[in-house]
Parts: sequence; structure tokens; C-alpha cells
Amino acid sequence: MNGPIRRIATGLFGAMMCLLLAVTWFQVVRADDLKNDPRNPRPALTERGKERGLIVSSDGTALARSVTVEGSRGFERSYPEGEVFAHVVGYSSFILGDNSLESSRSSVLRSRRDVTISDLLAALLGTDLRPKNVEVTINAQLQQVAFDALGAHRGAVVVLDPVTGAVLASVSKPSFDPELLVGPDTAANWEALLTDPENPLSDRATREIYAPGSTFKTVVAATAVDTGIATPAASFGDPVEFQLPGSLATIGNAWGGPCNDGVTTDLLQAFTRSCNTTFAALAIQVGAQPIGATVGALGWNQSLPYEWTIPNAAWLTDQLATDRAALGQSGIGERDVRATPLHMAMIAAAVANGGQVMAPYLVERLFDADGAEVESTTPEQLGRAMSQTTAATMSLMMERVVTEGTGRAGALPGVRVAGKTGTATGSNGFTNFWFIGFAPVERPTIAIAVLVEGSSATGPGGSGGVIAAPISAQIMRAWLGMSP
Amino acid sequence: MTRRAEWASIVAGAVLASFGVTLVNFADGGGVDAQTGVTFLVFIIAFGGLSLAVHFWAPRASPLLLPVVVGITAIGFIQVYSLSLLRAGLQRWWLLIGAGLAVLVIRLLSPKDTTLLRRYRYLILAVSIALLLLPNLPTDWALPLRGLELNGSRLWVTLDLGFTTIGFQPAELAKLGMVVFLAAYLADHMRALREAHRQIGPIRFPEPRQLVPLLGAWGVSLFILVGQRDLGASLLLFASFVLLMYAATGASGYLVAGGLLTLTGGIAAYAAFDHVQRRLVAWIDPFGHFADEGYQIAQGLFALGSGSLAGAGPGLGRPDLIPNSATDFIFAAVGEELGFAGSVASIALYTLAIAVGLGIAFRSRDTFRKLLAAGLTFVLAVQVFLIVGGILRLVPLTGITLPFMSYGGSALVGNLVLVALLLRISHEEAT
Repeated sequence: MNGPIRRIATGLFGAMMCLLLAVTWFQVVRADDLKNDPRNPRPALTERGKERGLIVSSDGTALARSVTVEGSRGFERSYPEGEVFAHVVGYSSFILGDNSLESSRSSVLRSRRDVTISDLLAALLGTDLRPKNVEVTINAQLQQVAFDALGAHRGAVVVLDPVTGAVLASVSKPSFDPELLVGPDTAANWEALLTDPENPLSDRATREIYAPGSTFKTVVAATAVDTGIATPAASFGDPVEFQLPGSLATIGNAWGGPCNDGVTTDLLQAFTRSCNTTFAALAIQVGAQPIGATVGALGWNQSLPYEWTIPNAAWLTDQLATDRAALGQSGIGERDVRATPLHMAMIAAAVANGGQVMAPYLVERLFDADGAEVESTTPEQLGRAMSQTTAATMSLMMERVVTEGTGRAGALPGVRVAGKTGTATGSNGFTNFWFIGFAPVERPTIAIAVLVEGSSATGPGGSGGVIAAPISAQIMRAWLGMSP
Repeated sequence: MTRRAEWASIVAGAVLASFGVTLVNFADGGGVDAQTGVTFLVFIIAFGGLSLAVHFWAPRASPLLLPVVVGITAIGFIQVYSLSLLRAGLQRWWLLIGAGLAVLVIRLLSPKDTTLLRRYRYLILAVSIALLLLPNLPTDWALPLRGLELNGSRLWVTLDLGFTTIGFQPAELAKLGMVVFLAAYLADHMRALREAHRQIGPIRFPEPRQLVPLLGAWGVSLFILVGQRDLGASLLLFASFVLLMYAATGASGYLVAGGLLTLTGGIAAYAAFDHVQRRLVAWIDPFGHFADEGYQIAQGLFALGSGSLAGAGPGLGRPDLIPNSATDFIFAAVGEELGFAGSVASIALYTLAIAVGLGIAFRSRDTFRKLLAAGLTFVLAVQVFLIVGGILRLVPLTGITLPFMSYGGSALVGNLVLVALLLRISHEEAT
């Protein structure tokens, strides 16, 4: 009987070898094809299923959280504030990857429970592998006010704490609901958002650059005062049009007349009324390098340290040093001068903070699953844009813009508000409308930049003072009413 | 290997099971908890108890079998735990009950020996047939013992105890009884069976008269297929019978006849039952019928592919996406969470178990014990091949549990009794 049993044994071992070969085929040779088969939900499910940490606002509103999915062990990302915070918080999508804070703080937010053996060792050693949480500097109430204040406009608002550089609000419109990009219809929604002519995916607050227009006169005036080239009372000629040197082109004022009486004007008046004639001349008088030094201290022409890459704000010093006509145009924030609303808010903040530029930051602190602080951001100085005296002078000049000048719509009853308006060339023949400012002048707690992209909706004409300044006023009023 | 080494491997198996449980906890956000401790204790009590029984009542038994079985059971238990906490808890109870029954079998056979079973072969046959018929009891009559139809199959019996209802599959024990009977029958008729055959070419065919037991087995298998719609058990029983007939007689004609009968039965079943047709469609092209017939096999293959070399990690895969992942498809679940390493280890352990079982048969001098050991090992081997081969598309999927790994009380109890019988035989035949 051992003969047949031996033959059966051979057969059975052969069968077991077949099992080994088959399992090698499916788990080694064809593993990647099977794993990546579009009908195999596992890769997406395991990635999506993991818990991520919270993102909360400074006033305790949850901006992103992982919620358990009913009937499974997995988690799904939820964005309770939706489009209000879309560009700041971003999304963690299993198809598109991570974006904004979800990307920049991914290593903190992600659960580190991945490789089980090492996880067990870590647990035995007492290492916390649970995801950590991120608290941002943004105040959710203020963010909502800014979002509402922009209304139906395309544009952006950046609000800074001028003393620390903390970002108090950062809004870009139109926006999108991040939950569209984490759900089952991600691909279709992504396609729709990409092809939307309004470009809702674009973060206009920190990731788009615009010509700053007349708001840039703040930089030119500050440099002039700082270098001693001019005082607010300094007298200037007052032509109807400024003849650009070495060029046939001229620069006129928005209203087509002279700044003052056609004879003389002074810096304070030119700034208050936003006279292009005066500032084109002043920029040429001050020179490209001193202005370049001021914007350099403000983080221009370099990458600004932030949560994500911010396009460089541009002031082409070397080029402008040899081209006085271009320098004249650049002095009023046109031609090749470019900055994001964040950069422009930093200018207002620098004046408010006695000339000291603070590095903007978005993350206040990180805390672990038990609520204990892991890390917190210490405000950092980026550079000095102007002396304290110059900053005080600029404050008064900017206050005059709001009390008597182009920025009267940015005023608030009972509060000393400083500001500067801007109306700049935008894309497709439209104009962009700006307002930068801060308040209260005697002890600033808020610095702001408002940008509204001109479109057929904003209509022809209009100015920063009419369109952007009232938006700033609403946001400032809300903030000053909120803070003790 | 010595008894001491057997003990060490039992402890190692218990540590493996509780370590796996902890890893699953960990994946869920927990850590070392009561489950870890209870699992360790249950494994120590069940297999330690079995080892002690061997020490007292079968001291010369092969020390190779238990370590292999502990390893397989531990891997399977981790996977069941990963899939369902509730089922893992029940599985532990069944492990204790099965080990208890195995101890009882070793104890009862110790005063005489396994040949005691040979004496009661017809009683055992009657009991086995009765057990097979139990699920066909009415589902709604007054007696507390009732049949139950589940997923279109008639495999279950429920016992209403008043405070609770216990369900079990009597076929899991009946198949052991069938093997015992067949081994005894073949041992009785050895001479006649061996000599009465005709040579046709290279194949020796048995006398038509001697085909009666084979046809009997075929009839029983067909009954299981038709009456209970259990393709897997039907095929398992018949294949094991054919192999045992061949082992006893050496007449390859049994293999040919068995193959022909399987084919005939298969074709008839294919024509008669749509569930057999669906199985065949799913086998030939699972991805082409992804939405319906092929879904389970396709998901199983996705699981295996996603597991790749190292696996997702216990508790970190998604084997819950495979229908019946805790029972029939436990091998795919192991492949997903423990990876190629886990699948190969499992197949290797089964191969080792089969080798040990066949070794016991090989060394036995008593015909009955030799055939019994061989038959029990065949049952184990055929079962592993049918279900793993079904998942891996080597054969059509028949829907049968993977011994020691799948969730299911009756199967675990039956397989532990099978191990007890093998242990006793190896003790009795040790020199």
C-alpha cells in the first residue's frame, strides 16, 4: 500500500506546488496590475481611510476634520467651513493629492500608523503616533466677514496683525467647496472647476500677482521721506501731464487735471489725492535703488517664507535704474510692478508697525491628540522698511487719505483709519481696484489689503476708493468690534 | 523534535496569535488589551491541553503535528479577528470546545486503541449518514433540533436550547465518520479488492462487483450536491474516497473511474443547477463578469495583488470587501493583510501537515490504521487544494472552508478531532 500512498503523496505535493506557483503569479508577477485595476477600490480606500488631524481657526472653529465613515473603520475628510476657507485649508484628496495647509502640514496631520511592526515598537516606547492638529492664526468670524464683504466680486482680502505678522483672514473669491474634491465625484468636479472661466481654484490672496497701482505710492512716499528727499510739505511743480523723460509718453491724473492749482502742490496733497503727475516725478527723483531697498525689506524680489510658494513680488531695480521713463511709470505701481495682496497688506502692516516688517505666518501652533501644545510660531522680523519717524509720518499721510482724500469710503466713525487706494491696469482691459490700510492709527491692531478684479460686473469706471475701500471698512469695523 | 520543542512551538503559536491580535488593535487605534491576553490564554489552554493529553495518553505520538496546526490556527485566527471581533470571540470558544473534544477522543481511545473504531464501523457509518441527513430536518417543526437553509445550501442544523440557539454543520463530523468507515471497510475487503481486477492496457480495472463501494460514495456525494447543494463537501468526500480506494488497492483504474464519475456528475450538475453554471462562468472569466458571478473571485484576486509581498498589515487591508472573507475566502484575506509572505507560509504549513499525516500512514503496519491516517490526510489535503485552488483559479470555486483557518465552529471542531485521530495512530504505530 505504501506504493500508491507514495504516488498520491507526490501528486499532493505537486498540487501544493501548483498553489505556490499560482499565488506567486497573483501576488508577485501580476500584483501591480491587480492592485492598480480601476475596479479595485483598495488603494483609494486605504489612503482615504486614514485619520488626519484637525485644522482649527484661532477662535476654535473646525476647518478640516476626519469623520468616521459609517459601517467601516475608515475616515473621510470633512471641511465644515467649505468655500470660505478653501484656499487656506486646501484639500486632502485621494485622487488629486493634498493642497494648501493640507499639503504644507501633511506630515503633522497624517497619522503615522503605517508600518505595523515599527508602530508597535513605537507604542511600546511611548511614542504618540496619532495625528497632530494645526491651529491657524485666522479668526473664523473675521474670515466670514471678509468673505461676505467681497460679495459677488472676484478678488481677495488679506488681513494681518501688524505687530506679529499673523494672518487674521485670507479670502479669495470666487471659491469652491473642498468637499467636492474628496468625494466620489472628484474627477468630474475637478474638471468642472478647472474649466470654470472664473477660475475658482486660483488663490488670489497669496498666489496671484497684480499691478498694485496707486497703493504703491505708499512705498515711493515712504522711501522719499526716509531718504530725506522729501517731507510731506515738500513742494512740487504741478503740471496737467507729466512728460516721461526720453519718451513722448505722458502721465496724467485720473481726473485729467492738475494735482492742485496747476502751479505747485506738496507731497501730502499729492498722496491724499493720489496724483500720478507728482509721483511719477518723485519716483524718478528718488531713484530705483532706494525704492528697491524699501521693497526688498518688505520681502519683494525674493521668495517670501510662507506655508506655500508665493510668487515673487516684482520691482525690477536694475532695469529701472537705467530707464527713467519706466521708473516714472513704475512709481505709480504700473508697468512691471507686481505683488500679491499679501505683499500689499504687508506694506500697510509695516507702516502700522513703526516700519518694522514682520514675516507673515498662518499657523499659530500645533497640538497633539490630547490638546497639548507641540510647537508654536514665534513672530519673526523680516526687515525694516523705514524708520520709525518715517512710519509715523506715513501714518498721518495715510490717515489724511481716509479723512479727506480718495479713501474716504474706508473711514469708520470714532476710529482713526489710515489707508491708500489704488486703481490699476488689470487683465482684458479691465481695471483692478485696491485698498490697503490699517487701524486704529494710534495703536494699530489690523492691517489689510483688499483687491477687487475689474470685470463686466464691476462696470466701467470706478476706483479703489469707491469699490475696495468700503469692503475694508466693513472688515475693520467687524475686527475692532470683536477685539477687546 | 521532542515534546519540549512541541511545547515551545505551542507557546510561540500563542504568542503569534496574540501578537497579531495586538497589531490589529493597533491598526484600529488600540493596543495591548484584554483580547491580547484572552487570545494567548485560549491558545495555551487549547493546544497545551491537547499536548498534555498526548503526554499522558499518546506519549509516543508524532511531535511534529501539533506545532504545524498551532501555526496555521494562529494565522487564521489573526485574520478572523481582523475581520470581526465578534466572530473571533466565538472562534475562541470553538477552539476550546474542539480541543476538548480532541482530548476526549485521545482519552477514549487510550485503553484499547484506534482499532476500536474499526469494530464499530457500521455504527459509525449509520451515525455519519444520520448526521449528513440532519440539515434536511424540517426548518419549522416542534422539536428543538431543526434544519436551516443558508445562502441556498442546506448545511446547517440548529439546536434550540431555550435560552440560546446553537448552529453547526454536522457534515464536518460526518466526513470523519465516513473516512473511518471506508478505512475499516477497505481493510476488511483488502484481499478481495486487490486481487479482483482486470488489466486493460496499463490500467488495472477492478471487477464491476468491487465498484459497489465507489458507487456508494458517489451516490452519497451526489446526495450532498443535490439534497444540500454543497458542491464543495460533495467533491471533497468523493475525491477523498477515490484517493483512499487507490491507496488501498493500487489500482489506477479507481482514479480513472473516479475521474469519469466526477466529470459525469459535474456535467449533470452543470446542466441541472444554475449555481454550478455560475461557478464555472466565474472560474473561466471572473473579470468579464465582475458585476455578478465573478465578483467574489475578482475581489479575492484584487486582495492578493494589493497584499503584494509584505501585505497591508493585520487590520490595515480591506479584506472585508471580499464576500465571505472570514470563511471560504480567508486565504485571500491572509494574502492581503500578511502578503505573499503570509500566503507562502500558510501553504508551506499545510504541506508540512500533509507530509506529517502521510508519514504517519506510511509508517503504520496495521492496514486499518494506515488507511485511516491516509484517508484523514487526504481529506485535509483535498480541502486545502479545493478552496485555495478555487481562489487562485486553478479549479472552479467550490465553496468550502480552509481547515483551521476559516471562521466556523463545526469545521474547527471536526479538524481538531481529525488531528487527535492522527496523533493516536502515530502513537500506536510508534516503535
